Amino acid sequence: MPPRTCALCLANRAMLKRPKTGQQICRDCFFYVFETEVHNTIIQSNLFKPGDRVAIGASGGKDSTVLAYVMKTLNERYQYGLELFLLSIDEGITGYRDDSLETVKRNQQQYSMPLKILSYDELYGWTMDAIVSQVGKKNNCTFCGVFRRQALDRGAAMLGVDHIVTGHNADDIAETVLMNIMRGDIARLGRCTAICTQGEDTIRRSKPFKYAYEKEIVMYAYFKKLDYFSTECIYSPDAYRGHARVFLKDLEAARPSAIIDIIHSGEAFEVREEVKATQKAQQTCKRCGYMSSNDLCKACTLLEGLERGMANAGITDRARKKLDAEGPPPDNLRTIPFYNPPSSGTASITVEAAPS
Amino acid sequence: MTSCGNPASEQDALMQRRTKFDKTRLCWKCREKVGNVVIRHAVYCRECFFPIITTKFKRALEPFINPGNETRRQGLKPAGNLCVAFSAGLGSTVLLDLISRLYFSAETGGWTGRGGTDHPRNAPVWKKTTICYVETSSALPGTRDRTEDVRAVVAQYAGFASFVPLRLEDAFDDAWWGKVGGRPPPSHVSVDLADEELLLAQKLSASDTPVVALRAYLAAMPTQTAIPSAIQNLIRLLLLHTAWATESSHLLLGTSLTSLSVSLISSISQGGGFVVREEAQEEWQPTVYSGSKRNVRVTRPMRDIGMKECAIWAWWHKLTVVGKENYLGGKQGIGTLTKSFIVGLERDYPSTVSTIVRTCAKLAPKNVADGRCVLCGRPAQPDVQAWKARISIRAFDEQGDVPPHRTLAPDPAPDERTRETHEDAAMPPRVGLTPHLCYACHTTLTSRSSRGSAAASTQVGATPLPVWVESGLEMLDGGGSGQEKWNKRKMGESEMKEAIAEFLLPKEDA
Repeated sequence: MPPRTCALCLANRAMLKRPKTGQQICRDCFFYVFETEVHNTIIQSNLFKPGDRVAIGASGGKDSTVLAYVMKTLNERYQYGLELFLLSIDEGITGYRDDSLETVKRNQQQYSMPLKILSYDELYGWTMDAIVSQVGKKNNCTFCGVFRRQALDRGAAMLGVDHIVTGHNADDIAETVLMNIMRGDIARLGRCTAICTQGEDTIRRSKPFKYAYEKEIVMYAYFKKLDYFSTECIYSPDAYRGHARVFLKDLEAARPSAIIDIIHSGEAFEVREEVKATQKAQQTCKRCGYMSSNDLCKACTLLEGLERGMANAGITDRARKKLDAEGPPPDNLRTIPFYNPPSSGTASITVEAAPS
Repeated sequence: MTSCGNPASEQDALMQRRTKFDKTRLCWKCREKVGNVVIRHAVYCRECFFPIITTKFKRALEPFINPGNETRRQGLKPAGNLCVAFSAGLGSTVLLDLISRLYFSAETGGWTGRGGTDHPRNAPVWKKTTICYVETSSALPGTRDRTEDVRAVVAQYAGFASFVPLRLEDAFDDAWWGKVGGRPPPSHVSVDLADEELLLAQKLSASDTPVVALRAYLAAMPTQTAIPSAIQNLIRLLLLHTAWATESSHLLLGTSLTSLSVSLISSISQGGGFVVREEAQEEWQPTVYSGSKRNVRVTRPMRDIGMKECAIWAWWHKLTVVGKENYLGGKQGIGTLTKSFIVGLERDYPSTVSTIVRTCAKLAPKNVADGRCVLCGRPAQPDVQAWKARISIRAFDEQGDVPPHRTLAPDPAPDERTRETHEDAAMPPRVGLTPHLCYACHTTLTSRSSRGSAAASTQVGATPLPVWVESGLEMLDGGGSGQEKWNKRKMGESEMKEAIAEFLLPKEDA
């Protein structure tokens, strides 16, 4: 059987079957279409303007490793004029982050990008190991998710950047659409397919890989010989999300376009106006100044529960009421430093400069 | 003794059985009788169960009986007749029973007194009722024809309803199309499913029977999961056209809460987010009557009643459930996967099913529709193809720029190029079905499995289309709507000569 010709350039030998379209294409065409589609996503949404300082959320996993490479490539190829940084969050999970952070440090050298690593311990006074020892494995993902989101914003504010880009891929977004429908989270459902989110005074946060399939990201890393660490978090028994992920993979096997079809669905609908009117207005946390729907932001509520030995106070209403019944927090309660949103492009801390 | 048979094993070593109910065995509603059923951790006795179901049913149906947004304070006055879709499954069996009990049980005529069950206010809400069943055995080899079984069940309700049995192949039958008020097209077309543009062509074999056409249509689907979607769509349109032809203002479906949540997630997974509202309730009219004041309101009055409650109702009322061929695409069907996922999830997270339905009820389409899809008749979203092209590059010439290595590719051979040009000049530009489809229908017809499909490649250019598609395309062609014209008729030589006859000079005699 003669070798198949690439369906795109009609010249080279096809090397792979594209997960997204099913087309058999050559390696060069794959690189080109993968990068160009990310570029189209960036341009179509006007994500950046020349001179923007952009932090790449870098975990050392496949998505962020490929994102750092592609962002650097596109920035040079299309002259975006961006100043790129790497921003890593160390959750404090022994044996989980260590290798991944080494990858990030290597990326810092390879791509000549300044790197900032911010740890939960530094910011909240708690590592995930310590949190799990108190709350157990059941709800620890809630702590980690809330703390990471705020840590990224705070790290970005320290770097003085305008924008954070994260490696969320099409699979992640499709999964989130399904999850939000199944748990009735209307507020998140309304915004989860947005490529760029921005609160009143928070830093812009974008997902350039919104339409990139996870399989294609792995494929890109493989052919470009980018090394990354694939480590499953040892504390992540989020059964509900696990079910949704397995379901999505089954759908993808039945019809590969299912992932993009779900995203298309998510983009096609919105929350009805009369429902939007009932949603809580955004305000700032009275304790730490971060955006919040209540007087206290979720991170402060969770932290107070941890500090006062009632970790569930941030999880259930009943536990929160019990905590409130015990009176106001003591004066010496450890709290999160007050959040100062960035004031146009000046770093408030020094970062590890990229080696020349 | 423990279940493992070891008398030495301690009872305490076994896991505690999870209680089926929250607090008490007493009925949650009357708090007097011992409960008979547990529905999502709440216990109900038999006497309280029935009114709960009928209340849920009425609450989901009655606000939508009067036309427009009229309130029901002045009584229930629908604009037309009633059409009940009967699939022979559990949900529609219970639906039929509830409709008969709640709206057609009172005898009319002979009322002389003040009030009572004979009072005219208890007269049937709809003047005429049609029960419609679509037999799918022609599409699913190895399945039996259940029409007679269904007829026997429906005969129990003969007092208030007439029975209309349909067959899935009617979707390809000009005779049926004529019966429901459609105008059979002068010639038939086929579609090329191998091409993303879904190019249309003259149908080669006009003598195909409806069954052959139906099977060819389903065999050409690019994935296993596209087959149940296509069948579901054909059933839906057959029912809608029948409801229109019987001058029904309402088409009632027996979709239970569980089925509705499955169909919502399944539809969203197939790109149907734009019509998530229509998945629960919709207003429909045939393309040829678009703009007419009359429409068919599709309502799912069982949408608050779970599958378990339906089963209990059917059991206690001794209803005969014929059963239906529920082909969801086998293991590789999105319908099968969604159903097993939702039912499995409901076991551990019981509120999931109702949460899905309630969440989707809070959604609305983001943009204004760009007409209706000619295949499914639902609102179509604008710029779908541009979106698809932007997020996944399928050809370089569409993009304007080409990759650096592309310049190395050899140009096509001169004779090949000449032939292409020659062919282009000789053939009139072919028009595709794609611009007239919604995202979900286009995906159903074009999205392929990663494993490849032999079916689609063997059916190139020969796939027949349901009768309403041709009619819809004709409307677009002749409607002067400003959209591109669609020329599907091949002009014969004599016809061409006739058209220009007055400009031709008579041949000189030899």
